[in-house]
Amino acid sequence: MYIGIDIGGTFTDGVIISKDQIVASVKVPTYEDISNSIETALIEVLSGIEPNKIKQVTLSTTLITNIIAQDKLKKAGLLLIPGPGANPNNFKFPCEYKILSGAVDYRGRVIEDLDMAEVKDACKYFAAQNINCLAVACKFSQRNGSLEEKIVTFIKNNYPEIKVLASNEVSGLLNWIRRANGAFYTITTGEACNEFDKKIKSTLNKVGLNCPVFVLKADSGTLPLEMSLRYPLETIFSGPSASTLGALACTEENITSVVVDIGGTTTDISLILKGKPLIAEKGAYINSFPVPVRALAVSSSALGGDTPILIDNGRIEFGERQGSALCLGGSTLTVTDILVYLGYSDIAASSDVKEEVENYAKQLGLEPKKFSYSILDLFINKIENKLEEMFRLWEEEPAYRIWQVLSSKKERPRSLICLGGPAKGLGEYWSNKKGWEVVIPSYAHVANAIGAALARTTIKFDFFADTERMSYTTSIGGLQGVLKEPLKNTEDAYRYALEIYNGIAQKWHVDKNISLETLYEEGFNVVRGWQTVGKIFQIGIQTEPGIRRFLKGEKAND
Amino acid sequence: MTKRISSKTGLVFFPAFDWAISPTHPEREERLLYTRDQIFEEGILDNSKIREYKTRLAEEKDIQRVHFCVPDISAQTTMAHFISAGSTLKLADAFMAGEIKNGFAIVRPPGHHAMRVVHGNRGFCNINNEAILVEYLRKKYGFRKIAIVDTDVHHGDGTQNIFYHDPDVLFISLHQDGRTLYPGTGFTDEAGGPGAYLKNINIPLLPGTGDEGLFKVWEEIIKPVLSEFKPELIINSAGQDNHFTDPLANMLVTAQGYAKLTEELKPDLAVLEGGYAIETALPYVNLGILLALAGEDYSWVKEPQKQSKVLKQSADVNKYVDKIVKYWYKELSQKPPSKEELYGSTGIYSDERYIYYDTDSINEKQHELAYFCPDCPGIYQVLSQSNKSYGQNYKIDGITIPIFACPVCQKKAYDLWETEKEKGKSDIYYLQDKVKDSYLTVGYCSKKTK
Repeated sequence: MYIGIDIGGTFTDGVIISKDQIVASVKVPTYEDISNSIETALIEVLSGIEPNKIKQVTLSTTLITNIIAQDKLKKAGLLLIPGPGANPNNFKFPCEYKILSGAVDYRGRVIEDLDMAEVKDACKYFAAQNINCLAVACKFSQRNGSLEEKIVTFIKNNYPEIKVLASNEVSGLLNWIRRANGAFYTITTGEACNEFDKKIKSTLNKVGLNCPVFVLKADSGTLPLEMSLRYPLETIFSGPSASTLGALACTEENITSVVVDIGGTTTDISLILKGKPLIAEKGAYINSFPVPVRALAVSSSALGGDTPILIDNGRIEFGERQGSALCLGGSTLTVTDILVYLGYSDIAASSDVKEEVENYAKQLGLEPKKFSYSILDLFINKIENKLEEMFRLWEEEPAYRIWQVLSSKKERPRSLICLGGPAKGLGEYWSNKKGWEVVIPSYAHVANAIGAALARTTIKFDFFADTERMSYTTSIGGLQGVLKEPLKNTEDAYRYALEIYNGIAQKWHVDKNISLETLYEEGFNVVRGWQTVGKIFQIGIQTEPGIRRFLKGEKAND
Repeated sequence: MTKRISSKTGLVFFPAFDWAISPTHPEREERLLYTRDQIFEEGILDNSKIREYKTRLAEEKDIQRVHFCVPDISAQTTMAHFISAGSTLKLADAFMAGEIKNGFAIVRPPGHHAMRVVHGNRGFCNINNEAILVEYLRKKYGFRKIAIVDTDVHHGDGTQNIFYHDPDVLFISLHQDGRTLYPGTGFTDEAGGPGAYLKNINIPLLPGTGDEGLFKVWEEIIKPVLSEFKPELIINSAGQDNHFTDPLANMLVTAQGYAKLTEELKPDLAVLEGGYAIETALPYVNLGILLALAGEDYSWVKEPQKQSKVLKQSADVNKYVDKIVKYWYKELSQKPPSKEELYGSTGIYSDERYIYYDTDSINEKQHELAYFCPDCPGIYQVLSQSNKSYGQNYKIDGITIPIFACPVCQKKAYDLWETEKEKGKSDIYYLQDKVKDSYLTVGYCSKKTK
């Protein structure tokens, strides 16, 4: 049995899934200290169930999001080693920074050494500001981390009170700005993550669970709680992962579908393409700062059940949320009221909103039903435009190889999975109007927790080896090193990459049954003069995103 | 043409990681690998001023609008060529949709040595990306006057050949002197056909010319020629082998020099051409050009090798730059002879020559004819015979109706085509009707039915 816990803004949901059945589900309030919510949810959901039957607990937390939203980040400074390239002063960084001499190039060669006097001055400056976290980021540090490491060692020796982190430990992604920001957010949230980890461990003890605990990531995979201490940013924005996986659970294999999560204020759309959640081509942003975190492609609109209806110059417009729907005691006519009026929602009686709907319709000289339908049409059109934009972005993802350019991306959905309060009514209308298959899972109220419970551990692994320099690097932070054998061809490189991957997969507890997908494998002749002096290999493999299994009897209830 | 204003720079990056002429050829998979590393690592693709586009395929018609591919397009192209050419068209569409203010196609394979007639690969090129772009812009968007500035170290002989008789396309090429470098052409007296005289400006430079010489010819020749021509659009053939580390040439230009030239030239669309210092030049020059196009600070883009090498031009080079500046100043300030005078009493321009295809070892014998018309650029005809050491040789006869041809010339071309076919002296006959955008081929039975 698997437990999924989803921490939302208002409620924390917990479910237990056994094979393809939901055996228990609870909803408890979210407290300021989210570990209390987790504890309550665990106790309630486990009532009457033997804790030793639980194989795994997966949490979708808002821990990092809350720290950032509440401005509880530790004060930090950035030490930047840009080397040649774009002017770093034209980038925005989340904290104060100092630029240092030194440079590493694309092959990982040190082309300019550090000036230790500069390093000393910069550290002195930050220490005088009472800054106790420093992140170090050097361009191409994933290809050669030695300059970053030199500074880290210097700080550890001379400023033991300052915590320091090198960007190559955070990610091996080709984008030093994202790595720098990533190092900043990792080091400034580290303490809170450690505290959370301790609390969770004691909570588990208390409720008698001794199974492994996983945390949901932004890309819909999971990672073990202990690894989330090392890569805490991976756990940010897990909400959309939870809801998308939750929606996926009621479908069948290889389905292409749209997940529409309609809340009071916002609507989130994500895509499932041939059974896999779509991941955004570019990584996530925190407070508009790009970070090296893979995330699902999610399109959010400021539209929801509580969206008020405005009449502007004889045209219907949507406004910003004022409060709840009229039929629930609010003060303005909202989308929910329209659904109630048309009989698509039974949270109130149609007669409760009749008068106001008629008033609005009269202003436009429209018959009330026609007026109401045009509101739903407008709502759906807006969502459909967003959807089209998402597909366009997906189709337009840059391709750097002939085979990628030629592989067609023409997949279009045939079904819609609706989550959230107003989703049922809008989904029904959508289905009537557009002829799509609309699925509203019966467990929609705890879909996110189900998504968490069914999530599986995934790794996207990019391997890059340079046989002339006998070095390799990977996309996983801190995983780079010396090649132990000369790789002669792509097969050699693939085997070597796979070995390293298997090492991580073991640490991350990746299910051995999940199939591996090769994203690309290629070798480049490094030719100087007319001599081949070495080879560069690039291998990309990943465990396919998706869910552990589909839930039974959840298919199609439109 | 009304255009929305955009502040973005479009980028199509197509390194063709799965295409090479041969495993150790300069035009191999590795060529843009380090450029990829540098540009991605910089984090500038997250910059809202730069918008990256996915490439697309050019259509056969886009190629037919420019080339006589012998015996057909499929024999002269690979999928990579369709994608490389298509990348420039993608940027053209984005530019015309007002999504970008300018664009850069960092793509391979290159194209500027590909001439109108294509028997094989010359100078690593099969089809001419910039020429395909120009004809596409004119056909689809109604442009008339377009300037191409070729900053590759090799003379852009393919582009010169394609637009040699086109008065509406100004072609300027600066390059290392043809006496010292492939393709051995690009002298000042190749100044355009009688109908397009002084619309082809060659600026051959001595080996050892650096940033200083580059800016002198920019200020003194290119800039005034452009301002006189008043193009509706400027395209840059952005080869990068004038760089001081290029292994195939001998110039001293730096990444800063290329970036600054881009900033001055302000090309609407730039397309990568040659440049084979794949480690020491390309990552920095491509980045410098991209930043300059985006209006970002490029002053930090410095090659690590720069300090260790003397990049000062010699006195001889300075003298030679002065000489060529003076030459063009004199030529361009005189009133040129009229079109009638240049065509002479016959009204026909005729030129016979041999063209060598270095990559594919082909000798081509070519006879070009341009016919005078008082009202339009006039008909163009080419008779060409290939001579290969292996493979089938073809004799072709191609007729071009230029895009701005008058109705009389259009009819005359079709009549000429009929006469030529009746004579039956060639294996394949082409009629390139750019007015109707219709391209006819007769004689060769393609194995692939289209």
